[in-house]
Amino acid sequence: MRRLFAAIAVFWMTGFLNAQDDDINHNNAGHIPVISGAIGYIYNVNGGVPALSPQINPVLLVPFGSHVLLESHTDFIGFFQRKYLTHGPYTGKVFKSVESAQVDWLANTHLIAVAGRYLIPFGLYNERLSPLWIHDLQDGPITSAIGTLPGGSGDGIMLRGVLRQNPSYSIQYSSYFSTNCNVNQLEAARAAGGDASIYLTNKRLEVGGSYQRFLQDHEINSVATYVSWEPAHTLLDVKFEFDRSYNGYGYWLQTAYSFNQTPIKPAFLKRMQLVGRMQQFRPLNGGGNSLPQVNTNRIDVGLNYYIRDDLRLISSYGRQFNSPTNVNIWNAGFTYRFVWPLWPERKK
Amino acid sequence: MKHRILCALLVTLLSLGSIAALAFEVQSSPNPDGQKQANSGFDAQKAGERIFMANCSRCHLPPTSITPRTTGTIIMHMRVRARLSRRDEQLLLKYMAP
Repeated sequence: MRRLFAAIAVFWMTGFLNAQDDDINHNNAGHIPVISGAIGYIYNVNGGVPALSPQINPVLLVPFGSHVLLESHTDFIGFFQRKYLTHGPYTGKVFKSVESAQVDWLANTHLIAVAGRYLIPFGLYNERLSPLWIHDLQDGPITSAIGTLPGGSGDGIMLRGVLRQNPSYSIQYSSYFSTNCNVNQLEAARAAGGDASIYLTNKRLEVGGSYQRFLQDHEINSVATYVSWEPAHTLLDVKFEFDRSYNGYGYWLQTAYSFNQTPIKPAFLKRMQLVGRMQQFRPLNGGGNSLPQVNTNRIDVGLNYYIRDDLRLISSYGRQFNSPTNVNIWNAGFTYRFVWPLWPERKK
Repeated sequence: MKHRILCALLVTLLSLGSIAALAFEVQSSPNPDGQKQANSGFDAQKAGERIFMANCSRCHLPPTSITPRTTGTIIMHMRVRARLSRRDEQLLLKYMAP
């Protein structure tokens, strides 16, 4: 088995070297170490209980040439509630978590090899929409825990890239294996899975699916299928995802509309974004594992205002319908995305 | 037994990666028209803008505040995250840091 593994590894690396694309067009882009990320401050009221959540999510990016990238993403999320829930002084703590600490080898169009701790590519949310400065509604979908346990990250290797691309469509894939790890801040479960999607360029429509096999404790399967659609000539964004696992199944449907191209006056209203989302979840086998244990429906409506492309005010109202109780959920705050160079520019 | 299963899984992953790299390399070479389009700087910028609208704007707004000196690193990061092709990366660089 070891000999076979070594042979395949050599073959794989040879493929890398042969497939290097040396055609680099001229541009003025710099490849220097960068610290990027987001800062946010969210005021949340959930069922009448207020909470404050300051956050900072730095992402360190260190390139080595144009084919190797070291990246690390850590979340520092504060959670402060009143001592007696609805009154009294605010108390709480700051939670930190290492979301990713990985080395990327951008070998060619078809192969990007990732080693280390990475965000699990499952569905639309975890890898693509979860950054603080990206998601339009601050609370993640109910089903975001499916396929991403224990903390949204895996420790191991991942292969990803573009399988095929032409002017009409593009097919992308990810496949990964994560090992069990109990080291503080690097917790991960033994699991294997993948994601594949096709993007139809002219329709601006993406359809994809994800699969994960959990390989420890109860060996369970999780699946997701999703659609992302941005109709041409509008700033409408429609996203849909259905997830299913041993603990339950559910879907979310989200639409976001930016008024950027709408002929409304005064002009500053064009910086607004209106968001709506509905979701339903049904538990199976008692639910749990970060999923509700009762039937849950939820609707959210959000209004965001982009002061600049990197700074926005956010607000949202949600109503969650659980079997025993219904609650209102309010969010208000701001997010700011930053990109700071860490090194003097080095000309290519 | 578990060790063998893990090794088998790893080998399968690596094999799939190898096959993908070699089997599809020729098929997805830029078509002659696309190559011709991207030869001039202006066309390359327009192509980069189209790629931005097709890929990046599915998740976020155009990042107008990013300076050219950091663009190369950011685009590398986004190439990994968004599974962009090498050619897409080059055209995006042309668009964002001409």
